[in-house]
Amino acid sequence: MLISCNKLKSYIKDNGDIDWLNIWNTFTIRTAEVESVKEVGNTFDNVVVAEILECEEHPDSDHMHVLKVDCGEKEPIQVVCGAPNVRVGLKTAYVKVGGHIDGMEIKARPLRGILSNGMCCSGRELAISDNHDGIMELPEDFINGKDIKEYLPIDDIIVEIDNKSLTNRPDLWGHYGIAREICAITKHELLPLELEEIENNKKDLDIVIKNNDLCYRYTGLKIENILNNKTPLDMQIFLYYVGMRSISLIVDLTNYLMLELGQPMHAFDARVVKNIEVGLANEGDTYTTLDGVERKLSNDILMIKNGDKYFGIAGVMGGMDSEILPDTTGVFLESATFNAGVIRRGAVKLGLRTEASSRYEKSLDPNMTDIAIKRLVYLLRKENPNIEIVSNMTDVYPKKLEEEEIVLDKETLKIYMGIDMPDNDVKEILELLGFKVEVLDKEYKVIVPTYRCTKDIKIKQDLIEEIARIYGLEKFSPKPLKLDLISVEHENIFNQEYDVKKILANKFDMHEVHSYMWYDTALLKELGLDKDNVKLLGKDVNNILRDDMSLSLMNIVRENFKNYNSFEIFEIGTIIFNNENKRVLSIILAGEDKELEALYNRAKMVVKYVFKVYKNKDIAFKDNINEKKYYDSNLGKLIYVDDKKVGELNVLNKRLASKIAKKKMIVTLDIDFDLFVELNKEEIISQEVSKYPTVSLDYTIKIDKKKYQDLEDMLKDFRSNLIKSYELVGVFKDKYTIRYVLGSNNKTLEQKDIQTFKDRFMSYIKDNGLMIEE
Amino acid sequence: MEEKLTKIKESLIKELDGVNKEADLLNIKSMYVGKKSEIQEILASLKDMSVDDKRKYGSLINNTKKELEELINNKLEELENKVDISFDDTLNYDVNVGSLHPVTIVAKEVTDILKRMGFTVVSGPEMESEYYNFEALNIPKDHPARDMQDTYYLDNGMLLRTQTSDNQIHAMENYGAPLRICAPGRTFRNEDLDANHENTFFQIEGMVIDKGVSIENLMYVMQSVLSEVFKSDIKVRLRPGFFPFTEPSYEMDISCVICGGKGCPTCKNAGWIELIGCGMVHPNVLRAGGIDPDVYTGFAFGIGLTRLAMMKYKINDIRYLNSGDIRYLKQFNI
Repeated sequence: MLISCNKLKSYIKDNGDIDWLNIWNTFTIRTAEVESVKEVGNTFDNVVVAEILECEEHPDSDHMHVLKVDCGEKEPIQVVCGAPNVRVGLKTAYVKVGGHIDGMEIKARPLRGILSNGMCCSGRELAISDNHDGIMELPEDFINGKDIKEYLPIDDIIVEIDNKSLTNRPDLWGHYGIAREICAITKHELLPLELEEIENNKKDLDIVIKNNDLCYRYTGLKIENILNNKTPLDMQIFLYYVGMRSISLIVDLTNYLMLELGQPMHAFDARVVKNIEVGLANEGDTYTTLDGVERKLSNDILMIKNGDKYFGIAGVMGGMDSEILPDTTGVFLESATFNAGVIRRGAVKLGLRTEASSRYEKSLDPNMTDIAIKRLVYLLRKENPNIEIVSNMTDVYPKKLEEEEIVLDKETLKIYMGIDMPDNDVKEILELLGFKVEVLDKEYKVIVPTYRCTKDIKIKQDLIEEIARIYGLEKFSPKPLKLDLISVEHENIFNQEYDVKKILANKFDMHEVHSYMWYDTALLKELGLDKDNVKLLGKDVNNILRDDMSLSLMNIVRENFKNYNSFEIFEIGTIIFNNENKRVLSIILAGEDKELEALYNRAKMVVKYVFKVYKNKDIAFKDNINEKKYYDSNLGKLIYVDDKKVGELNVLNKRLASKIAKKKMIVTLDIDFDLFVELNKEEIISQEVSKYPTVSLDYTIKIDKKKYQDLEDMLKDFRSNLIKSYELVGVFKDKYTIRYVLGSNNKTLEQKDIQTFKDRFMSYIKDNGLMIEE
Repeated sequence: MEEKLTKIKESLIKELDGVNKEADLLNIKSMYVGKKSEIQEILASLKDMSVDDKRKYGSLINNTKKELEELINNKLEELENKVDISFDDTLNYDVNVGSLHPVTIVAKEVTDILKRMGFTVVSGPEMESEYYNFEALNIPKDHPARDMQDTYYLDNGMLLRTQTSDNQIHAMENYGAPLRICAPGRTFRNEDLDANHENTFFQIEGMVIDKGVSIENLMYVMQSVLSEVFKSDIKVRLRPGFFPFTEPSYEMDISCVICGGKGCPTCKNAGWIELIGCGMVHPNVLRAGGIDPDVYTGFAFGIGLTRLAMMKYKINDIRYLNSGDIRYLKQFNI
């Protein structure tokens, strides 16, 4: 929202000591975030009032004129001007030779052979309006030769306040409310607004509110005999500076009131208004708004109706048929308050957020509607002394919003602030903000004005916020917490996740990635995969939540294959599985297809390592009949710990892998991290190391058509007290070398002990049908 | 005689200089101090010398022999210690180093700082119910925050959490008062992607509840976190904010690290970056967590971890973070 400091000044008594450029840093830390502060009007100088005395056609141009203007100097000055509205007697804005416009110096120079001394300007050339139809038309009472800045509020400071930071402050959606804050911050007095009191001695207008819960108040007034529809220049400049177009006096005044008080208003052409009814639209009806767009209505959109026909979308935008026309001299003024929710939802539904709707959705104070009308009439009469009020100010206000009382106990205030606030300071701060305060022994009785109690001031903590911010947050001194040293339960999820990530990055040189909770649906389609899982509402693409972490990382895999032939990535994230959140560690090893065996075995080693290091547990791989067709049906393994499934090892189906990248293979690991976290670390019970030497024996076993798993099962069943350990130490074709370490805790093994073992073992293997050599 | 001995010594020193194989050295050894060596001959000739000469040269010859032996032994030791270099000892391979995601690094850093202040780390679900994401946090049905534009609603009646604040309620339910928790995690907002906006980003929530907790305590914790993360006095601004679940509410901005506060696209030319939303826990939220607001007060805060990582590492485009692009991510090789 744009704020004009000139306008603010007009509401604040004796404001000469306020530094209007720098007050906004303080405003940001007291009230709301200021996005920018800009000086305007300083781009030109030496622009004075000049009256056109003579006006001749330029002999060498079809549109230019040669003027003689009186700019307050002894002799008239010759100026060439191309504007269509030049005429004798017109007072306009004239830049003297040597003056500047938009930083550029104006020089005496010939235009089509005739010397032009200076230049007459349009509003747009001076950057004080967007009017470029002709040169400025100044009032007759402006004195020739005077700087126009003496008459018009051109030098100004325009401040942009972040709308988001005003979300909870309906009272700050107009200049007057901002001025009230500035008064509180700088301890100044806020001046009352000048209003016209309206006598109710005429007839009431026919106004009916159908839904009291959606329209809190509707105030109407009919005015006739508005003959001057020209907006005064100072108001035009103000409107332009705060981002609004000047249209006509009536329309400008309704906008002005919205910018001044925050009260949106609407003026209907009085000729078409029969009766006003506020009620919901019928589902499926259409209505064409002022901007010429036909809108589809639904039965939760609030409408203004006139003579049983739609007349405007309440709080959002009026319609074509009630527009103020050039010949309009009578208006029906609407000043109403609507429920914030209905306006917001309607505006969102229609895709039509307007200045009015964005104010209504903040929960405006209903007690503002009549003030706005009185203010508008006051301002209108300044331009049209002979207007006639032809109706009562008709006020439909079913349930008047009253001021609220909140009791703030001093004890709570002290706890929150951490310091004792003197009574006088509390009272002064709250009163400057418009609250009434009664100081009692242990508490304050605070009356909240209605412009603060529609939304943001409800409980004593809200008052503490007011006191703390105006007192000054920068005056607080940060204090450490003083809490008892108590042992608290500790969820260890974050740490375990971090530890595992760290080892994957630091020991296995993998890269952690972050991805999205949903599948890349374009990729799924390309891979020919159909996934059914929980979906995001209102989205057509990337809308299926992932139930397979590794699969969801395939777009990242694809991107990285553009730069790397092989790489390893991982992520710990959430999947939605069986409608539940599930944490999963996904590790992806991607490389050339000929490296598959190495990738596959490394994947096994990595997962084994992780469980060994963090859980001191051994894992087992079991064959997986894979239901997920996108994984290879033979190479999938289930990972077990203590007979519990904790994850899967998979190889992306070769055909799909080649769609991700040619001649590549992708090995994936998905570990159920919820189970991983729950898994207790196997306790370490120390075992003595034998004092006696051990003996290593290597056996090479021809595996034949079996797999290592078969051999390992066989080895597991072979028992002897001499076995300290055994491991696979080498593979050559189908010959696997197993190393046994033998020993005893009581003695050095003798040759015959070893021989007995050898004989037993060799015949055990042979009995199982395998060839063995020592 | 002296001359002769000196010559032998000098000759040996000269020969040893070129030797770098043990076998050569052994040859030299037998040549200079072996049975048929010159010094041995001189030593043998000693017995034929006059008594005077014996006295004069005896110890000299013996000392020289000792010296010769010592020279050879030293050389031998030197050779035994030395590895035979048969490779290029100037080769210089690059190391492959893995990487952690920048947000992970910053999350760890912040949780470590908070843990030192006695916070425990908890976590909550990313797919969340409306109750924990909104209702219990004092965000009524009509609140704009519940709008479809901001929230990812799901077809199973749940939603993707829009903030980590759901952890406040879970933590109060699980642990009660007094309480000191923090909870890093992923959050989701239905936003269009650009250099500054992501639909998936990280926050860390914090909550302290006890008797007598004040705004000043909140400020202390926030300042400690920021000054430790940035390891320097960073410019901080606290200003009023609005969140339904805290009252009073504040926003803490830091001076934009990317442009040094001068204004850039990352800070939308403001020179400040909104980093932390915080405030005193709203009584309704305490009640929702089963805690009596007349007995306890507390504060809560949410730090934008993604934003913090961007500030700390001067990342000027948020889209890098979820790109999974190893070329970019490998820099964070902690």
